Amino acid sequence: MAYEPILTSQIDQPGSSTLDFYVQRRRGYEGLRKALTLQPNDLIEQVKASGLRGRGGAGFPTGLKWQFVLKDTPKPKYICCNADESEPGTFKDHVLMERNPHLLIEGCAISCYAIGAKVAYIYIRGEFYHVQQILEAEIEKAYKAGFLGKNILGTGFDCDVFVHRGAGAYEAGEETALIESLEGKRAQPRIKPPFPAVAGLYQCPTAVNNVETLCNVPLIVLNGPEWFSAIGPEKNGGPKLFCISGHVKKPGVYEAPMSTTLRELVYDYAGGMLDDRPFKAIIPGGSSVPLLLPDQLDTPASFDGVQKAGSLLGSAGLIVLNDTVCMVWLAMNLLHFYRHESCGKCTPCREGTNWLSQLLERIESGEGRPKDLDLLFGVSNNIVGKTLCAFGDAAATPVLSTMKLFRAEYEAHVREGRCTLPAEWRAKHPVFAGH
Amino acid sequence: METVTLTIDGRPIAVPKGRTVLQAAIEAGISVPYYCYHPGISIDGSCRVCIVKIDKMPKLQTSCSTVCTDGMVVHTQAPDVVEARAGVFEFLLVNHPLDCPVCDKGGECPLQDFSYTFGPAESRMDFPRRVFDGEGVKADVDFGPTLMLNRNRCILCTRCVRFMKEIDGDAQIGIVDRGHGSEIATFQEQGVHSLLSGNLMDVCPVGAILTRDYRFKSRPWDNPAVVDTVCTFCSKGCNTSAWLKGKPEWAKGSRLIRMTPRYNPDVNGYWMCDIGRFNYHWIEGDQRLRRPMLRNGAALEPSAWHDVQSRLRDRLQAAGTTGTSAVQFLVSAHASVEEFFVLKQLLDGVLGNDGMAATTVTWTSSEKPQPDGAKLKVSKANAPNINGARDLGFHVGAGNEGAPDLSRLRAAVENGQVKAVYVIDPGPDGSLGDVSWLIAARQNGTLPLLVVQGVLMTELAAAADIVLAGAAYVEKDAMYVNDQGRLQAASLAVAPPGEALDDWRILVNLGRSLGLTLPYDSAEDVRRTLAAAMPGTPYAEADRQVFTRPVPARNWLQASNPSERWKWDFLYQDLPPVKGHSVQMEGIPAPIAVIPLKPVG
Ligand SMILES: Cc1cc2nc3c(=O)[nH]c(=O)nc-3n(C[C@H](O)[C@H](O)[C@H](O)COP(=O)(O)O)c2cc1C
Ligand code: SF4
Ligand code: SF4
Ligand code: FES
Repeated sequence: MAYEPILTSQIDQPGSSTLDFYVQRRRGYEGLRKALTLQPNDLIEQVKASGLRGRGGAGFPTGLKWQFVLKDTPKPKYICCNADESEPGTFKDHVLMERNPHLLIEGCAISCYAIGAKVAYIYIRGEFYHVQQILEAEIEKAYKAGFLGKNILGTGFDCDVFVHRGAGAYEAGEETALIESLEGKRAQPRIKPPFPAVAGLYQCPTAVNNVETLCNVPLIVLNGPEWFSAIGPEKNGGPKLFCISGHVKKPGVYEAPMSTTLRELVYDYAGGMLDDRPFKAIIPGGSSVPLLLPDQLDTPASFDGVQKAGSLLGSAGLIVLNDTVCMVWLAMNLLHFYRHESCGKCTPCREGTNWLSQLLERIESGEGRPKDLDLLFGVSNNIVGKTLCAFGDAAATPVLSTMKLFRAEYEAHVREGRCTLPAEWRAKHPVFAGH
Repeated sequence: METVTLTIDGRPIAVPKGRTVLQAAIEAGISVPYYCYHPGISIDGSCRVCIVKIDKMPKLQTSCSTVCTDGMVVHTQAPDVVEARAGVFEFLLVNHPLDCPVCDKGGECPLQDFSYTFGPAESRMDFPRRVFDGEGVKADVDFGPTLMLNRNRCILCTRCVRFMKEIDGDAQIGIVDRGHGSEIATFQEQGVHSLLSGNLMDVCPVGAILTRDYRFKSRPWDNPAVVDTVCTFCSKGCNTSAWLKGKPEWAKGSRLIRMTPRYNPDVNGYWMCDIGRFNYHWIEGDQRLRRPMLRNGAALEPSAWHDVQSRLRDRLQAAGTTGTSAVQFLVSAHASVEEFFVLKQLLDGVLGNDGMAATTVTWTSSEKPQPDGAKLKVSKANAPNINGARDLGFHVGAGNEGAPDLSRLRAAVENGQVKAVYVIDPGPDGSLGDVSWLIAARQNGTLPLLVVQGVLMTELAAAADIVLAGAAYVEKDAMYVNDQGRLQAASLAVAPPGEALDDWRILVNLGRSLGLTLPYDSAEDVRRTLAAAMPGTPYAEADRQVFTRPVPARNWLQASNPSERWKWDFLYQDLPPVKGHSVQMEGIPAPIAVIPLKPVG
């Protein structure tokens, strides 16, 4: 563990969120100063050369995304920072904004300059109320110090950053739903194309980027793209935050290069399995990705590495499961979430999540019938690939993955008419919000 | 026009650039189902039933939101498409009550039609359905003054939401809650208050939004005939369809069962307003004049046309058919082009140069409160033919925007200068505006003779000496000229009741009795003469207007789905009831095939 945290360096120090701390102890806003001496296009080239991939879930190359932003238009352009962070098991952006907010603010300003925008909106998850307060206070200070506002650092570049608080919807994190919500509408996704890069916020060219993605931008400008890509494996460069939760001794946010293996993250960073119980499986990318098994623990926790192992790095939310976890219960638990969060716009997701959820409740409670397993599989497959946004696939994944890897548990539930792994740590009467 | 050529199910298809795959398929007669798509409102891509396979694209694509490109290869019947689509249909029905037997959309429901064709034979759903306000028709709840809403049947296509936002201009309908809890709602359950509300029943692809007017009134197989007409309630002239009930005895003797808009991109698009849609009951109502009448003391007595005509001639001649103000005509702008044309010849023949001066054209005008953003704006003038009257040389004063000036006529009548007033009004009650002064003048004797040629026993008709039963707008083939100066043909849907006559004929009979030669034996004769008389104007086309007759549908499914009516207008011109009559649609190439619908029963 020779790696020195960059994004999260010194975040345990008192006052780490303040402007003074940022400027004095972290070379704060030097990246912006340097960026403003460059041509916007060169900046985009630098980000491309760094190989920075989006940290929001899809791992899409950030430089390429910015390049797609329509330049040849009289319309204003926008940066939308996705701070909705609602994927179960994901809590890294929270830490960045709370402990190192100026890194994000600086990232927003540089990104605006790069794509020719003058405004960045930070769309923050509704529940992050105190984080929003910190962010807004620090943005205020950045304005006073001349890092935001008109004629920044005397270069003639103007940039505003606004924080917009969501009303609490997972789907608001989907980029087009986020844009709709910013526009004051229901957080429901739009059909693509047109992509936000062409017609996004107010039908203007827009780049939607994750908090962690934007936080990497000042570092790339300051230290150069080669420095960045040298951290971690090829095409998976740069510092990365991992959110580790579940049955580990020290759950939390850890920063590491993406060459780090899942095993190292679980056993070294997070201190190993809770109560030293056997490891059963891991969901490596937030709740929406397929599970990996013990024999896959040596997979590097990179976009490409995890994908090669059959899952996705997603939001890098590692949910660690020990041998007491019933996989039917797990799927049921997650489908409660997806049913509750489905925006309801498209048919397969709206009706399918509810149906899956009911089926899983029936099987988990021991009422399941043999044909329910095929049905569960069939309904999941009827969702996959047919929905308007990626939510549908995300919702079906926990079912399909657990059925594929642990079908015997499903069969045992049906055969024995009860949950065969009723861990005592599970709440007797699970309380689920809403429905 | 730039075109692109793509292949759908192996067939090369050329379409104008910008068309979506769904539009290309529909126009080529290839059946692809759809719910959230409606040609008159924005694309939503949410129902997901229109999915197709497109070569070189990773997943199945929604055809409604995919624009055609050159060389695109589309499959609508590939096994994976068929299976995926059936899966979406299964989802659409998991919460649908399938109460088709009591649903007013039953028989003309896209959910029924497409589910039969594309859905799975059976549903695997065995959990209780979501129920909102009760089962069956108990779930029908108030949805404003004109509508009812049944949320159980709703498939959340959001056509209604988008209609209100985009066409009405006031987004009164929204969805509350989310996910499977989503439901159609209005603010504080106020319901829809809009002049365009009736269109919501047409856009709704299921029986969730129903008009109170049509609810429980008929079934599509009971109104198998439809006639193309033009609405005459304002000067906009929306193109409409009049629906006829096969068994009038089941509708209190009425044959007209509903009015729906008929697609005309240049006039009304896919829409019409509630005034024109719901205001038809008077045509077959109790007030309808069925025969001519003569006054006998206090009473008006039904009489034979023969007697009425000679009495009319005698009394008009006695009043003096020469001189400036002895006989005055008060004509509603509900009169058709044919009627104005014959009237003009009558006036010229009888009164000579004074004829036009002896005529006042009248109508009413009213503000129709609509949101600024409304796409279909109802006209102020409540009459269909002000422009037609003007074109034929009648004085229409303030024109289409203002109110007509009756003060000169009124003064002449009240001063006792007028010996007879002849009123022509084929419109609904109130079309003439305030005529209380005329009634008073007749009652107190200032006016010696009042003749009313009309369709309803109005207060004015009740005060008349001679009442002539004419024909309302769906009771005759007639032309009207709308706000835009567009000459439009409105067809006869139901024959005039009893002994009532087409208005041009009443005028011809009068002219002949006064010794004129008006050489017309049919409305076509009138139109032919008119066309010849006005070369170089739109009226030169008068003899080429196409009128339709109620046509029994070969397949009632195809004939009776009002929300899909645009499709027949565009595509199925070889099928009744739209054969070759949709004037604006000529020039559109004949369809290659029709969407096969599974036979019913
Ligand atoms: C259902 C759903 C929820 C999402 N939630 C988030 C989120 O909370 N935060 C986020 O950054 N991206 C989220 N995304 C991904 C965004 O759509 C988008 O890809 C991302 O913000 C792009 O940023 P990046 O290129 O910097 O990764 C979500 C996607 C889906 C389909
Ligand atoms: S898949 Fe459909 S219903 Fe689900 S969140 Fe996306 S758009 Fe909404
Ligand atoms: S009420 Fe009708 S039009 Fe509106 S969303 Fe439901 S099904 Fe669609
Ligand atoms: S018609 Fe294409 S998604 Fe609804």
